[in-house]
Amino acid sequence: MNRWTGKASGLEEWLQLLKGQPEIMANVTHWHTIPPREPRTAAMPQDIHPKLAEALAGRGIERLFVHQAEAYLAVRKGDHVVTVTPTASGKTLCYNLPVVQSLLENGSGRALYLFPTKALAQDQVAELQELAAAMDVDLKTNTYDGDTPPTVRQIIRNAGHIVVTNPDMLHSAILPHHTKWVKLFENIKYIIIDELHSYRGVFGSHVANVIRRLKRICRFYGSNPQFICASATIDNPREHAERLIGEDVSLIDNNGAPMGEKHFICYNPPVVNKQLGIRRSSVLETRRLAASLLRQGVQTIVFARSRVRVELLLTYLQELVKDELGTKTIRGYRGGYLPKLRREIERGLRNGEIRGVVSTNALELGIDIGQLQACVMNGYPGTIASTWQQSGRAGRRQGTSVTFLVASSNPLDQYMIQNPDFFFNRPPERALIHPDNLLILIDHVKCAAYELPFERGEKFGDEPLEDMLEFLAEEKVLHHAGDRWFWMEQSFPAHGISLRSAAQENFIIIDRTEGSRVLGEVDRFSAPTLIHEEAIYIHEGVQYQVEKLDYPEKKAYVREVDVDYFTDANLAVELKVLHVDKERETGELLRQYGELTVNAKATIFKKIRLGSHENIGSGPIHLPEEELHTSGYWFSFSEEAAARKSTNDMQQALLGLSNVLVHIAPLYLMCDPQDIRVVPQVKAVHTKRPTIYFYDRYPGGIGLSERLFEVHDKLLSQAKSLIRACSCLSGCPACVGPIEEVGLLGKSLALDLIEQAEIVG
Amino acid sequence: MSRLRDRLLRHRASAEEVMEEPSADTASPVDADAASVEGMEEAEHETLSPLWEGLDVQLTDTANGSFLRREAKYPLSYQHGLHRLEELRASVKGLAAFRAVSAVERNRTIRQEQFDAANRTPLDPEKVLFLDLETTGLGVGTGNVPFMVGIAYMSGEAFIVEQMLIRHPAEERAMLTYLCGKLPGFTHLVTYNGRTFDWPLLLNRLILNGFRKFTWEPLHIDLLHPSRSVWRNTLVSCRLSHVEEERLGITRDDDVPGSLAPAIYFQFLADHNPQPLLGVFRHNETDMLSLACLAIRFGHLLAGQLGAYVQQRPESEELLRTGLWLEKMGAMLLAEPIFAQLADDGSASPACLLMLAERDKKCGNWTRAVLLWQKVVHAAESSLWPDWKAHIELSMYYEHKTKQIQSALSLAETALSLAQKRYLGLRLDAKRREELEGIRKRIDRLRVKIGRLSG
Repeated sequence: MNRWTGKASGLEEWLQLLKGQPEIMANVTHWHTIPPREPRTAAMPQDIHPKLAEALAGRGIERLFVHQAEAYLAVRKGDHVVTVTPTASGKTLCYNLPVVQSLLENGSGRALYLFPTKALAQDQVAELQELAAAMDVDLKTNTYDGDTPPTVRQIIRNAGHIVVTNPDMLHSAILPHHTKWVKLFENIKYIIIDELHSYRGVFGSHVANVIRRLKRICRFYGSNPQFICASATIDNPREHAERLIGEDVSLIDNNGAPMGEKHFICYNPPVVNKQLGIRRSSVLETRRLAASLLRQGVQTIVFARSRVRVELLLTYLQELVKDELGTKTIRGYRGGYLPKLRREIERGLRNGEIRGVVSTNALELGIDIGQLQACVMNGYPGTIASTWQQSGRAGRRQGTSVTFLVASSNPLDQYMIQNPDFFFNRPPERALIHPDNLLILIDHVKCAAYELPFERGEKFGDEPLEDMLEFLAEEKVLHHAGDRWFWMEQSFPAHGISLRSAAQENFIIIDRTEGSRVLGEVDRFSAPTLIHEEAIYIHEGVQYQVEKLDYPEKKAYVREVDVDYFTDANLAVELKVLHVDKERETGELLRQYGELTVNAKATIFKKIRLGSHENIGSGPIHLPEEELHTSGYWFSFSEEAAARKSTNDMQQALLGLSNVLVHIAPLYLMCDPQDIRVVPQVKAVHTKRPTIYFYDRYPGGIGLSERLFEVHDKLLSQAKSLIRACSCLSGCPACVGPIEEVGLLGKSLALDLIEQAEIVG
Repeated sequence: MSRLRDRLLRHRASAEEVMEEPSADTASPVDADAASVEGMEEAEHETLSPLWEGLDVQLTDTANGSFLRREAKYPLSYQHGLHRLEELRASVKGLAAFRAVSAVERNRTIRQEQFDAANRTPLDPEKVLFLDLETTGLGVGTGNVPFMVGIAYMSGEAFIVEQMLIRHPAEERAMLTYLCGKLPGFTHLVTYNGRTFDWPLLLNRLILNGFRKFTWEPLHIDLLHPSRSVWRNTLVSCRLSHVEEERLGITRDDDVPGSLAPAIYFQFLADHNPQPLLGVFRHNETDMLSLACLAIRFGHLLAGQLGAYVQQRPESEELLRTGLWLEKMGAMLLAEPIFAQLADDGSASPACLLMLAERDKKCGNWTRAVLLWQKVVHAAESSLWPDWKAHIELSMYYEHKTKQIQSALSLAETALSLAQKRYLGLRLDAKRREELEGIRKRIDRLRVKIGRLSG
């Protein structure tokens, strides 16, 4: 029997026991203890309505944490506010307090709450309704989303004091029908935007435009609402809030909430093959740590980076603890599960029936699952901000909590685990949005024109509005008469525009094992590599094989199978540069930023055995090519540099270098690694030279590669130091890639290439 | 500008969503803008371009600018299909029953006393306004603009159709100003699908154009609802153009379908040639007349004129549904003779008899209900693939009301054999399986009951 499983009396003792185990401690690269934090409070403000004060007192709130008091005062002063505090710091009171107070003072006022997901909206409504009940006042709070029954909708439109919705609903249902919401828009005092950090990238850029439209409609009805935003820790909360809402904001980040002691343990799986630089699988190590915690009775959340990993870990963990806990106490959680199932899991976590959950970053957001005691991350979540968010899922106001970060062998993970200072001492990433992405902007100009004609002199975004209006008039979408531009088309523009992803429609997955039922969905970009025919799709730990992919109808039909492998697909990519916007030449390097088109096609898939991860077969994928028009950044080496290496060597050097770059690029971008792509070419069509391309995986680009163009020098020097510092002999998955991929000399070739280019520069 | 346009065009070239290609024969947009500005200046000078000749439109000025209006006067003797417009005077009396229409929409039946009370209140036929919009799109979103508003009403010895047209969207405010001056003169509004479309859309436009304070609360009669009640199954569609052709004897020659109206208007905005709009005017005008005739028809029905002014249709289902609708409107006394006639009618379909039996069962008229079920059961004997619902209904009646268990059992057994015969060779899906299972359970229960009685 494993010594680990001997029960300890609590988490503290378990951690002590852990320290006495050399075979574990040898892999712990860093043990960071965050001391408990005492609460800092302020008196309840004088002007708080007695009913509200009484209701709060009834819940044990006699005094406010300092950040709550500061937020209240700033809002009362009339400022737009963004609060930035960690999980479980009582941030909802930062906005609920001034909103409810204002509604108690004036019952005709209105507030609009925006949450990125329906689940968060429902949590919030429940909380506000409890508060209203405790105060015994008629404060109508309702969610307004796709699930709201038509009969209730009209009542909410006219009488709801607080309407809780999501940006998608605002975009496609509320704003285009604003005349039905006269009461709301005439009287709106506050707009609450929670989970501000989640509005980044494409989604954030869309949402910024939806907010432009919202403000425009408010102006039409003569209201000028105040924004109260709340965000998880990011590097640029104020800047991000200001870009998103287009107003100056006050930043409140003086967190006064208490926190129990917190252990943050970095764990690097041991090297099992020094020559190849192969470490033991992070999935297996995660399983070991999580199983030990679960057996100990510690409620634990496990985060994994991909859906496939979630399902793998879920299967493993359910298997390990089924005799002690039963499989139903360990659940999976990810996008693609249907809402009803998710609600059930959230409830189970709150009431403690579910002891463990394996999740993608879907649970990173503030969905109420209570506070757990332990968190195990399988792989670095990609950003510092996400890491803190995920880690924040474990940790209570009192008592100890622990977070394990189990590194995978990818270069970014290895970099982080070997340089913990980078993580603990560096501010988290910046949230980037690009609301003036032309394609996104023009979509919202259309929606805005549908809602209200544009007048000469109006502003909408930073691109010249009149040019866009003229363009749309030429396209016969708008009609220009006098000083105004009117929507003049039969369609309803918001229906064709999805805020969430370039994939405007999802593929649904239908299980035909018995009858047919909808299992889940995947976005269009992922479909060719995840649910091509013969792919193994894993859902709730069960394997399904895709029998038929109906591409035009966007449906995949699957059947349950029991096989010992999973599948992994290859994507072939072709690039064409359309236009160069920026250019800089340093030494042997020419770097450019501009527009390009990308043609991507899934070609083959591999079957990989579970456990050993060996390749046991492959097959072709027959799917149409996807075309993407986006912005990109690329750098090419001079002909001299090219001449110094054979084509083959150059190929491997470029490949090695791009493997490193693709992993460290997210250090500078708050984006999912999937949002940016890297492609090396020995002789690029555009430059005729060896070139490495980066591009934004969204039509029109969202500013990611532009930012990379700017940090190019830092990017390369970081890549260089990472390759140099790697302990492997000649390339490993943690730096340039395994030697099977980049060859025996891959590491030195890549280093060579980068050093020569730099020396000359 | 050119830079931005280049970028937009490049994006567009590869963007999936393809915007509509501008058609080759339209004037260049720069010219179009110049022309529209000219058009507005002309308006100020109170003259209308000769291009509009033949459309019979006149420039109408308001405090908020001008727009075009077209007016057609019909003598009351004018016959549109089966009806003459003058019938409106008499049938309006029946329309008064719509006073309690909101209750009908909540799916409640109006009582006969309410119906009678409504009928005692006189309704002035000149206070009834007919309304129909032609819009630039579908739905009631804020971007859907009614470019043409048609209204019609009786005035003295004439039936007047007024149509308002905006030459560009900036004239909407003028048109609404005029309309707001007109509306309060009426107490009743008659539309076709106006409850969900025309009226809410018009309210949108009023809010958007600064008439938020305007209030006019007429009694709204949306004739789509009675049309659906009566013709749900007998007509393939309840679109006005179909209803008028099938039941009002109206045929249209060279009609421009309403669905083409937006495209015609967009074309006019682009090339400023108003001639094709004549087709839209005519279409809308016919709609207004048909709407009036439909109101006449339903008015007659409510005034007890079935068979007199309104021809009785051979379809027994339509007759039955007419009766059910009259009953729902509170005209019980008009409905009952229809029901009686159907019950005696040898040619009424079993489905129709079943529907009537269902109605009788609900209001406790068991005598006729049983009679009707027996008729259907009897008819089943000579039919190839008969239905067995009447058998089940009758079986339930015998079991629970008259305690004739043996008869109930034999009816249930017949029902089972009919069902098995019908489903023979068909795949038994969940619904069918459940149905058969239900009959078997009934038979089992009845057998147990018989056993208990005899034992």
